[in-house]
Amino acid sequence: MLEIRNLHARVEEKEILRGIDLTVRPGEVHAIMGPNGSGKSTLANVLAGREDYEVTDGTIQLEGEDLLEMEPDARAHAGVFLAFQYPVEIPGVSNVYFLRSALNAIRKARGEEEMDSMKFMAYIREKIKLLGLKDELLQRSVNEGFSGGEKKRNEIFQMAVLEPRLCVLDETDSGLDIDALQTVAHGVNSLRSADRGFVVVTHYQRLLNFIVPDYVHVMVDGRLVKSGGKELALELEEKGYGWIEAEVAAQA
Amino acid sequence: MSAVLTRYETTWPNVEAVAQAHIGEGPLWLRNLRSRGLRVFQELGIPTPKVEEWKYTPLRDIAERKWELAEPGPAWFEPALPSFVEGAVRIVLVNGRFDANLSDFPRLPGLTVSPIREALTDDANPVSAVLGTIARIEKHPFGALATALFEDGVYVHLATGSVIESLIEIVHVTSGEGGVCAPRVLIVAEKDSVAKIVEVYVTDGAADSLTLPVTEVIVERGANLEHVRVQDEATTNAHIALWETRQAEGSEYRSYNVAFGGRLARTDQGIDLQGEHCITRLDGVVAATGNQLIDNHTRLDHALPNCNSFEIYKQVIDDEATVVFNGQIFVHAHAQKTDAKQTNQALLMSPKATINSKPQLEIFADDVKCTHGATVGQLEDLPLFYMRQRGIPQEMAESLLVYAFAAEVLELISVDEVKRDLEARLDRKLGTEPLR
Repeated sequence: MLEIRNLHARVEEKEILRGIDLTVRPGEVHAIMGPNGSGKSTLANVLAGREDYEVTDGTIQLEGEDLLEMEPDARAHAGVFLAFQYPVEIPGVSNVYFLRSALNAIRKARGEEEMDSMKFMAYIREKIKLLGLKDELLQRSVNEGFSGGEKKRNEIFQMAVLEPRLCVLDETDSGLDIDALQTVAHGVNSLRSADRGFVVVTHYQRLLNFIVPDYVHVMVDGRLVKSGGKELALELEEKGYGWIEAEVAAQA
Repeated sequence: MSAVLTRYETTWPNVEAVAQAHIGEGPLWLRNLRSRGLRVFQELGIPTPKVEEWKYTPLRDIAERKWELAEPGPAWFEPALPSFVEGAVRIVLVNGRFDANLSDFPRLPGLTVSPIREALTDDANPVSAVLGTIARIEKHPFGALATALFEDGVYVHLATGSVIESLIEIVHVTSGEGGVCAPRVLIVAEKDSVAKIVEVYVTDGAADSLTLPVTEVIVERGANLEHVRVQDEATTNAHIALWETRQAEGSEYRSYNVAFGGRLARTDQGIDLQGEHCITRLDGVVAATGNQLIDNHTRLDHALPNCNSFEIYKQVIDDEATVVFNGQIFVHAHAQKTDAKQTNQALLMSPKATINSKPQLEIFADDVKCTHGATVGQLEDLPLFYMRQRGIPQEMAESLLVYAFAAEVLELISVDEVKRDLEARLDRKLGTEPLR
């Protein structure tokens, strides 16, 4: 469903992604690991269409369509969801209103009927339980005054409501204690399905104990330098990133 | 000659002739009031930008035009005039004249509504004692002219201890071209009375007139008044208003100045706190587009100790529009334990939008809490991206953020119908999709 070919991207003058190739088929979970500053978050943001990043070369296709040609909202309509590393606070816009606007915009773009307030509330009741979020958070402004854990759970809650095709998780585990991590992982796992793909960006292996990936890729210096199964994550946990960086340096 | 030109060298002979004729009419108090108005107007003239108080209010076009006194307006309107709540006490003034047919006010215990013209014929009525005593026209040539010109208006009186559950709606319509109209409002809330008032200024289609309202409000001891003022005239019209309030001990006055309309619109709002333990809000929501100039000058005068005032101005500016905010807060030497907070924020939606903002705190007491903050910004990229990533189209995301910006003040308005009406007006004004 997702085909990334020779992707290069930069921020201002600095080249961050230097030739990424990645294929995600429906139902697969791909973990992207790597040291800080290797470009993992850049990849996540480029997939979502963040304008601070300029794609200088390569292609990204989602279900055969050119993702790079699409505006961020069109990508969301096509099924791309990014769970932000730092969820954004939007004072004055209630969480529930925000989410209903988003869901209805997506439904409208897909030619489906919009959901009225009653139906919507019934629909999200189930989802919010899944993430163990308090109902009162629905009425609060988006992410405003949420704890770190609530923000991350709110991201996955939104994902559960919007039911995307391609879920991109950017450091969703950062700042979570073990209980919150399990809740988040449970939410993600419940969304795993045969027609949905995941790209999970993480620095630590810890998250992957709970969200077990099909593939693990290691990013160093803007390239995916090593790929393997879930056991690669364990190896990284044990040995750190140093040995891969050394391997890459030796090949160069 | 290199004297600084502080007034335009123009006269408004037709308008001044009417004012001159007025001076010879009616009871003594009225003749005195009107002649005071005319005298001040003639002394001050139409100020140029050399006058500090009028620096950012370009009045040349207005000064150079030959205005007439506005004719009486039409007897009915299409589309219908704004209304907020069914069963409200409804008062309609057309070109400053009380229109009994369009008005609708049931008799409610404690509430008196009467046309000001009824008070202009004798000496012994409650209006004569207070009209013109609250508005500070000495520095405001337009308030002064309006005081010389007015022929009617509305007097709203709340008796001691009365609680008016119904919303009081005062609708002002300006109609026609080249006319000056001087709608006059006098609100007296006696001791411990409670009411909610919305005053709305609109035009009959694309009016091209000059509306010069003067609203005076007296909030007596322990009274509690919410006062929403909505100025949504056509952008062909000019509007220069004077709005003054005096608060007595233990009173609460929550005022909201909503300014969306007018080609040139200026409102000078002043509140004098003349008792201890007053609570005051003077908030504003401004939206300016096209070539509009919307100027709000506020003045808060803390004369006595232990009063709390809150002021939040939210200003959205698009296209080539200009918004001016000038917020004076005086804290006199014995107004100890004053707590005054002022915030004014502007959201610039286009590179050619302009804000001139000037907080002006003058504090002569030493045991006070006074804060002010002014910010100017644009819609931030990150919240926009976040919303778009969730599928919300750019335009809708922008309008949600603008609404959220204005909501901090709109949400304070306690009458839901008024709040929703203002949200809809804001959407229409900014051409955004109705979202709510």
